[in-house]
Amino acid sequence: MLKFAFRNLLSRPVRSLLSLLGLTVAIVGMVGLFSIAEGLDRMVSSTIDRIPGLVAMQPGAPIPLFSRVPAAWGTEIARVEGVHAVSPEIWQRVNAIDGKMIVSPPRFLFGTDIDAHANLKFSIYRDAMLPERGEFLVSADKGTMHAVVSRQIAEEFDKDVGDTLKVNGHNLTITGIYHCGSLLLDVAIIVDINRVRAMTRFDPSSVSSFYVEQKQGVDDEDLAERITDEFRGRELDTWKPSSLVAQNGSGSTVIDFAVRIEEAWKSFGKKRPADNSPTKSEPDDKAASLPETAPDTADSPPTLAVDDDLPLEVRSAASWADRFEKMSSDLDIFLLLMTGIGVTVAVLSIVNTMLMSVSERIIEFGILKANGWSRRDVLKLVIWESGLLGFCGGVLGCLFGLIVTLVVNALWPERLDLYASPQLLTFSLCFSTALGILGGGYPAFWAMRMLPMDAIRRG
Amino acid sequence: MIHIRDVAKIHHRGETEVHALRGVTCEIPTGSFTFVVGPSGSGKSTLLYLIGALDEPTRGDILIDGTSLHDFSEAERDRYRRDDVGFIFQSFNLLKNLDAVDNVLVPYMPGGITGERRHRATELLRCVGLADRLDHRPNQLSGGEQQRVAIARALLKEPSLVLADEPTGELDSETGAEVFGYLRRLHEDSSATVIVVTHDERYIRPTDCILRLRDGHVEEPDPVDTPSAPIDG
Repeated sequence: MLKFAFRNLLSRPVRSLLSLLGLTVAIVGMVGLFSIAEGLDRMVSSTIDRIPGLVAMQPGAPIPLFSRVPAAWGTEIARVEGVHAVSPEIWQRVNAIDGKMIVSPPRFLFGTDIDAHANLKFSIYRDAMLPERGEFLVSADKGTMHAVVSRQIAEEFDKDVGDTLKVNGHNLTITGIYHCGSLLLDVAIIVDINRVRAMTRFDPSSVSSFYVEQKQGVDDEDLAERITDEFRGRELDTWKPSSLVAQNGSGSTVIDFAVRIEEAWKSFGKKRPADNSPTKSEPDDKAASLPETAPDTADSPPTLAVDDDLPLEVRSAASWADRFEKMSSDLDIFLLLMTGIGVTVAVLSIVNTMLMSVSERIIEFGILKANGWSRRDVLKLVIWESGLLGFCGGVLGCLFGLIVTLVVNALWPERLDLYASPQLLTFSLCFSTALGILGGGYPAFWAMRMLPMDAIRRG
Repeated sequence: MIHIRDVAKIHHRGETEVHALRGVTCEIPTGSFTFVVGPSGSGKSTLLYLIGALDEPTRGDILIDGTSLHDFSEAERDRYRRDDVGFIFQSFNLLKNLDAVDNVLVPYMPGGITGERRHRATELLRCVGLADRLDHRPNQLSGGEQQRVAIARALLKEPSLVLADEPTGELDSETGAEVFGYLRRLHEDSSATVIVVTHDERYIRPTDCILRLRDGHVEEPDPVDTPSAPIDG
């Protein structure tokens, strides 16, 4: 019957082809759009997986770039039980490199305390240094304009070890080149923390965040709670997204998108003061008894709510992943809506094709029934035909969708990382086949109900 | 024996009722070669389709070897059409997307086609003189060849009942005679009951049964008189 169904489709090549193309385009769109989400997911997951430690930062700041915490707190964090090392960090956006304005992909000055960094057992950047492409920063680089850059940055500006890179008007000497292989990580120009302070006029008594490395066997969440408790009741302005984002937009579509999603979540999950004035912590008993995050309810997303009474937020890899999962689920809804439009058009196209096909073949169905075909057999034939259209549309859609993602990744390797996973492709193929079957359902039902006599008479 | 008891059939065309059959009662002996004759609109084809369970009578009943078609379930009707009845239509009613062999095999497509059945289909096509037309599609065959494919399709089932609706209606005299030759051979070889609707009484033999219809009624009792001008098929 499959062969028969295939021949029936081939007997109306133009109509079948147009219907197939409609579905193919819809599935290409689906694969393409969801590969954005999957690419983001993969990129963030692989990045988070490389960060074994915790990040202590200003509550509510989506990323360390938008965070400010007192530099002196680093010493106190280091004294918390279970902490192995603390590395203060400053993150600032790069506006220009070698006279070229930097918009996208973004680049960041990453100021690190070289001695503290050296105490870390695992360091993403240090461990990603390319062999024979210089060394990571060492004590001798303190106070100097030495910099370690990513391979992407080096290639973009045609630099190598020993060359000078002019960042925001300051000449830096490249002493090493790293390559993490992540769009989120390969954006940093790593310089001594005090030089970054000087270059960007960063408050000398503040840092963006602290990278906290735990001792072996210490639970991330327990340590995060201990650090948070240590600072409970201290005063610190919470992060103000509206002003900071306006002034310091990261320049990265991905990062800015994340910031905006987070802002929206927070405004949804929590009421803010009408005057938007800085919120101070109130170290009373009630505040002290508050958990770091609100209970997990449908109305207030728990991990993204900001507790203004806690001056320091400590995030583990799990909490980063949780935040991203919530952001990506919103993105998925958006992509679903976008895909829905294409899919609807494709389904209508299949319904139209099959209805026309069925109405033209009334006699044929009569002949089949006269020869003992049951209603179910006729239904199966029409469903096979529409299902074949769906399956072929799915195969082509997945194939072209995959090609599109590969081409896009090849054309803009520093900006986009699309990923069409086997699961996405399999789902798309099944979805397309299901759409085909669904689209043929009504015409098949119509064909099934016709009496053989009526059908033959019409002929 | 096929018992037709007070069968009436009303077709609805819009708001108009068309009385195709107005209470037909007759019997068709098992193994007979029966002709249903009469002018256009007398209800010949309607009666044929009712016997073949392609339609249901408005009134009355048809019994095949004592079993009422009315009592057949949907599945039993399908099985009856697939296994017991061979249809041959005036306009051949072949499927244009299938070649001659597959057209012969159409009744068995849903259940899967065995190699043995395919071999039998090929043999039948050879028997009706289409050995060199096996992979031809209907539009590559002449009218006579198409009708021979339709006959092979009916023969494949080894049916107990063959229903032919004006099988020579679109064929010239020579080809028509050839087609009737195949029907006669089928009748002789298998002892199947053959019922042929026709305008052309030249193919009727003295031993055939004749059922004459006019305006939805049986004009004469059956089995009826011998034809005036029998022609050997």
